[in-house]
Amino acid sequence: MLPTGIQFSSYSGEAGILKTARARIGVLLLIALVLLLPLVSGPYMVGIGTQMFISLIAVYGLHVTVGMAGQINIAQSAFVGIGAFVAAKCSGIGLPFWAVLPIAAVVTGLVSVLFALPAARVKGFYLALTTLAAQVLFPIVILGMPQEWLGGLVGLPVEPLTIAGYSMSAPAPFYYFTLALVLLATCAVLNLHRSRFGRALKAVRDNDVAAEVMGIPVLRYKILGFFAGSLFAGVAGACMAWFLQFVTVESFTLFASVWYLGMLIVGGAGSPIGAILGVVFITVIQEGLHEVATTVMRGQSHAVGGAVFATTNIVLGVCILLALIFEPRGLAHRWSVLRTAFQLWPFPRQ
Amino acid sequence: MIKLLQVLIDGTLIGLVYGLVAISFVVIYRASKIVNLSQGEVLVVGALFLWTFTLGAKSLGYDVPLWAGLLVTIVVCIGFGLVLERFVFRPLIGQPAFAIFMASIALLVILRGAAQLVWTAENRPFPAFLPSGALQLGPFALSTKLLTGALVTIALTIGLHLFFTRSRRGLRLAAVAEDHNTALSLGVSVRGAIAVAWILGTIVATFGAIVFLSGRIVSLEVASIGFKALPVALLGGLESIRGAPLAGVLIGTGEALAMAYLDPLTNGVASSVLPFAVMIAVLLLRPQGLFGWKKIERL
Repeated sequence: MLPTGIQFSSYSGEAGILKTARARIGVLLLIALVLLLPLVSGPYMVGIGTQMFISLIAVYGLHVTVGMAGQINIAQSAFVGIGAFVAAKCSGIGLPFWAVLPIAAVVTGLVSVLFALPAARVKGFYLALTTLAAQVLFPIVILGMPQEWLGGLVGLPVEPLTIAGYSMSAPAPFYYFTLALVLLATCAVLNLHRSRFGRALKAVRDNDVAAEVMGIPVLRYKILGFFAGSLFAGVAGACMAWFLQFVTVESFTLFASVWYLGMLIVGGAGSPIGAILGVVFITVIQEGLHEVATTVMRGQSHAVGGAVFATTNIVLGVCILLALIFEPRGLAHRWSVLRTAFQLWPFPRQ
Repeated sequence: MIKLLQVLIDGTLIGLVYGLVAISFVVIYRASKIVNLSQGEVLVVGALFLWTFTLGAKSLGYDVPLWAGLLVTIVVCIGFGLVLERFVFRPLIGQPAFAIFMASIALLVILRGAAQLVWTAENRPFPAFLPSGALQLGPFALSTKLLTGALVTIALTIGLHLFFTRSRRGLRLAAVAEDHNTALSLGVSVRGAIAVAWILGTIVATFGAIVFLSGRIVSLEVASIGFKALPVALLGGLESIRGAPLAGVLIGTGEALAMAYLDPLTNGVASSVLPFAVMIAVLLLRPQGLFGWKKIERL
């Protein structure tokens, strides 16, 4: 909903993502703020920011698979893990980062296609069960492989990221690296919504029988929805590998998958803004809980880890339930209601 | 030959345990159209309740007999089912299947977190409800615990099957499993159905815990049996009570055979992968499972 008095004389203006000067200024300010963060804060905050960016890329992937194509995917963390292992292997043999990222993305995408194939026969939660199988099988298969391949129980060390000879492993440079990827991913997702491919995915989500009748090859688009979502997961996985500099299966559990899904649901599955809001909201809650727990339980540090993990799980689960029951469209819808009210003021909001 | 038969017998008995847990999936789906991914966590919570009212109470100085502990646990399970119905699933009636599915995933993390917070992650001994030991039958050894468990499974299967296909109440639940809105417009209480589903599901899961854990260790990791039982429930058909133990036997023997003959060659992967490979194969070849309802879409 635009403020009164704004008209477009061309289609490209109508289809633009940032339609008004105010929106453009707002986004530029946001980017400037994010760019300035490492200059004003310590490495801890920068680390959290980096983690947020990596989660955001993964949640963008979920937004494509779950939000746009309407296929439930509870294996996003396993797909991120596949990306991470591929990136670790590839950078281990000395490939540069611009080769590692696409390889990790495409390999992850191809693996996800394997688990999307039952879309030929089933849909809805039945299809979600195959992604559950992917998530459960991931550690079993990795741990079952010979130790030399993917490190088995021990894990795999990762070569630090270097770009054109410069090491990017310090917090601030790596922060900017992930920020660049996030901006790229944001542009990709926003444009996906305006493309033929994105509209086809949404048609499949809204009613797959009707989409089939309209001439959309539903099966192909369901599988492509998984593929596209997993490309993001692969990129997020590669970043995760460089960020942690060590990959083991323990970083990619079912709980991480549920957290990604939780971020998407709480933020709102229908729009990329939802992914951003969800990631920020859940990360703030997670870090806040961690902060509170460390101050409350000072001195009993051995008990903190388990209790924090448990409490975070409970809070996240309750957030998902509250979002499902009271606001299925997520924080993104609240945000747009607020913005509309602001733009229409002093007239009553819709 | 004797080894093969022994493997088959062991597989059948452990398969019936999977079948019992699968029945707790099926009962919830068959009465309320909710695929509950958190069934493994429900089983652990049931087991921890049972521990609290038997061994836990004993350590506090109250010597509660096993049957009384079981009775209290069943009452608590009923309360648990009612709370879940009222606060989680009642507000979601009429919402798309996606929301209900996500709610069960949210429940998974909540129950796991709550169990860890209330009971902590330590390992506890589980009371021995069933006789331990082995029954020698010629050259074969049968675990009496699993044998009793198998009898419990078969008795429960017959009882629940009769309830769902013969009793008036059970038949009403079939309408809810078909479609919430249709059931509502026919005057069937979906709320009631969901409450019954969760009470039955929790109690059956607790029985599963008794058979699976009797005399062993209960910890949060036990919840992974939920994901083992999911392929069983799918193979048997999500709507079929009688399919679950049969599918359990199929997957149990398959797993036991893979464990005995393939695992040495594949570094122990084959037996863990098998149930999920079966699950994906079932989804590709016969999505409704062996005895499930076939869904037909018409324009």
